[in-house]
Amino acid sequence: MRLLIAISSKEYSEATLKIGLEIARAFKACVTIACVSPKSSSFTRDQVRLAQESMERWNFDQPAVSVLEWAFDYLKDNQFISPESCETGFQKKLLVKRAGTRGEINLEGVFCKQVNLILRFGEIISELRDEVQKHSYDVTIIGGSQKRRMAHDLVQYIDSSILVVKQIDFNKLYRVLLAVDDSKGTKKAVDFGITIAKAYKLEVDVLTVSKRQRFGSGYRGASDRACQYLEEASVKYQRHLKVGDPVETIVAMAGENHITIMGISSKNPLKKFFVGSKPVSVMGKSDSPILIVK
Amino acid sequence: MNFLRALLFWVTRSRWLIFAIVIGIILFALPTPDGLSSEAHHLIVIIIITLLLVITEPIPLPATALFIIVSLTYFGIDKPNEIAHAFMNDAVFFIMGSLMLAVAIVKQGWDARIALGIIKLTGNKTRNVVMGFTVISALLSSFIGGHTVAALMLPIGMTLVRYTSRDVEKSRGLAAILLFSIAYGALVGSIGTPSGAGRNVIMLNYLNESGIGNISYAHWMLYIYPLVIILAPLVAFILMTSFSTNYDVLDSGIRKLKVQVARAGAITFRELGGLFIFILVFLGWIFFSTRFGLGTIALTGVMLYIIFGLVKWDDINRNTHWGVIILFGATIVLGTYMRSTGAALWLANGLISLLANGAEPLGFLSDVVIITMSTAMANTLSGSATVAVLGPITLHMGDNLIHQGLLTVIASAFGFFTAVAAPVCAIIYSSGLVSAKDFFKAGWKVGLISMIILIIYANTYWRLWF
Repeated sequence: MRLLIAISSKEYSEATLKIGLEIARAFKACVTIACVSPKSSSFTRDQVRLAQESMERWNFDQPAVSVLEWAFDYLKDNQFISPESCETGFQKKLLVKRAGTRGEINLEGVFCKQVNLILRFGEIISELRDEVQKHSYDVTIIGGSQKRRMAHDLVQYIDSSILVVKQIDFNKLYRVLLAVDDSKGTKKAVDFGITIAKAYKLEVDVLTVSKRQRFGSGYRGASDRACQYLEEASVKYQRHLKVGDPVETIVAMAGENHITIMGISSKNPLKKFFVGSKPVSVMGKSDSPILIVK
Repeated sequence: MNFLRALLFWVTRSRWLIFAIVIGIILFALPTPDGLSSEAHHLIVIIIITLLLVITEPIPLPATALFIIVSLTYFGIDKPNEIAHAFMNDAVFFIMGSLMLAVAIVKQGWDARIALGIIKLTGNKTRNVVMGFTVISALLSSFIGGHTVAALMLPIGMTLVRYTSRDVEKSRGLAAILLFSIAYGALVGSIGTPSGAGRNVIMLNYLNESGIGNISYAHWMLYIYPLVIILAPLVAFILMTSFSTNYDVLDSGIRKLKVQVARAGAITFRELGGLFIFILVFLGWIFFSTRFGLGTIALTGVMLYIIFGLVKWDDINRNTHWGVIILFGATIVLGTYMRSTGAALWLANGLISLLANGAEPLGFLSDVVIITMSTAMANTLSGSATVAVLGPITLHMGDNLIHQGLLTVIASAFGFFTAVAAPVCAIIYSSGLVSAKDFFKAGWKVGLISMIILIIYANTYWRLWF
């Protein structure tokens, strides 16, 4: 399994980094920690680079390099990287030397083979999309954004599952909210939900929401299958069949004590672009972590 | 499905390109307005598309530059050879030379010497340091250019901030005051001499081509430097009232700065050589620029720095964005054809009749319009591109070419409002210590007061000279 953790600053990304690395530990996954620095306008790019070279002579790093140095210290302090990598230290020259496009530091992990720190420059969605396409990640983990467009673009254009970390409290006991319906992505979401629930010994709420009073065979069947898989995996669960607006119901039930897991919508991209989709709407409205499985 | 997703991704990322193309097609299809030649009509459409592409940057700027060059030929604005001739002139040489000179100067390591000079001058009180930063930045940027000053001064400012307090939140106000004093000081100072910024040279060329003769380096300073002297301390004062700092003295920061400076040791022969070449360039600008051009003299300086091994060509090459130089060349070509096709005159007349209802000359209102348009455009585009495109129009908005030209070029330096307005703003923004909101918080006050003072200055002091 390969995880991509996108961070932006110590202030906003501490929870994202922490939860990402805990998942990596649980799944023994290879991890790449990425910081995407906005690109300056072409008009000013060279002058900014000249000033940054001047700052480097005075031992001041670019903000993005400092963020990755903080991530390196976090990996070191929490023993995610080998003593040899700790001893080699944070080799920022590897990042800066290739900073025009993609700088990379390769570290040896303790729970997995490799931990990478990468620095990219540009617009965040484009850079993450490119990173995922070229390096085949299974899950991209990112902090929450209030922008609806950002939620849409993450789900629509990044070719991996997306975990958005919002308001997480590490002292709280979370439950998994598995939102199932007849969409194609549901099966994979259930598999993912079971793996996470087993890894962290969490209880699961299986939720199916119908807009009509009567549940169709597709919806009821999806719920039945999810419950059957959970039983086979010996995961404790509760089943909920609710009538109402799916997005509002899922968000209300998720509250602040669930990690919501749902599959990607099977609508065609054009329809999703203009009308939106359930996962995107839930991601935009929910205050708790949400994983959209692809 | 994947193709559709890829297509949608491209569409969302290129929406401004699509918008520019659609607008372009519509405008091309419209009938040519009365009083406008078809070449001028096509040129105005090319300019509108260019502005959209430059402001929103959906494609790399060099591609926009190439769009200008090829579309001028395809739409029959002029013959290919004539367009190629108009592409390179002394203003483009100057922009190229000043970008290269900036690399050469920054590589000389003058920052430590400047730091020492500021400390000696200001002592450790925050308000004196802010005043010192603003005035020194203004003074230096008049001669070596704003972005060179920002590159030299930023580490000095960051040393003071970092070593006064490690607490980022607590030192946020101090960081804003010091970094803005560098950026705004450099912006104000860049108007003081023709070599302060590329936009000044572009306007000098326009004025020269308009038949009023060459304005010498000394005359430019005589007309504009008093304004720098008025604005620089005022900017420092506005910054001190806009941001609150928890530190009245910067003892620990100053101590660290002294340690850094001590590390630099005594002045070396190499540093003296670098300074000597710059003095030669500066004297060349003052005494020979009307004869040889500012650009040629700047390039001579670069040549000397390379010959004497004071800077490597690789360093210059790495830090010079050739695509932007091509773009400046292309925007200057647009300006040239705006005049020759009559597009500039038509746009200026249209603007005047719109504002004055065609009844009377605009008079004082024309100054307000020129300053507002130039400032607004410089804050979304770039100072040089603003002067290149707007200059030919504003020169027709009154009966005193020098008055309108200088107003345009000065107001184009008022890029106080946004982090993208000018290289100096982008440089301090890249430090991560100031936010986009900070620019507006201080920028609107500095901008508004600068605009008011410019109007008063232009209608009083300039009356003594032209």
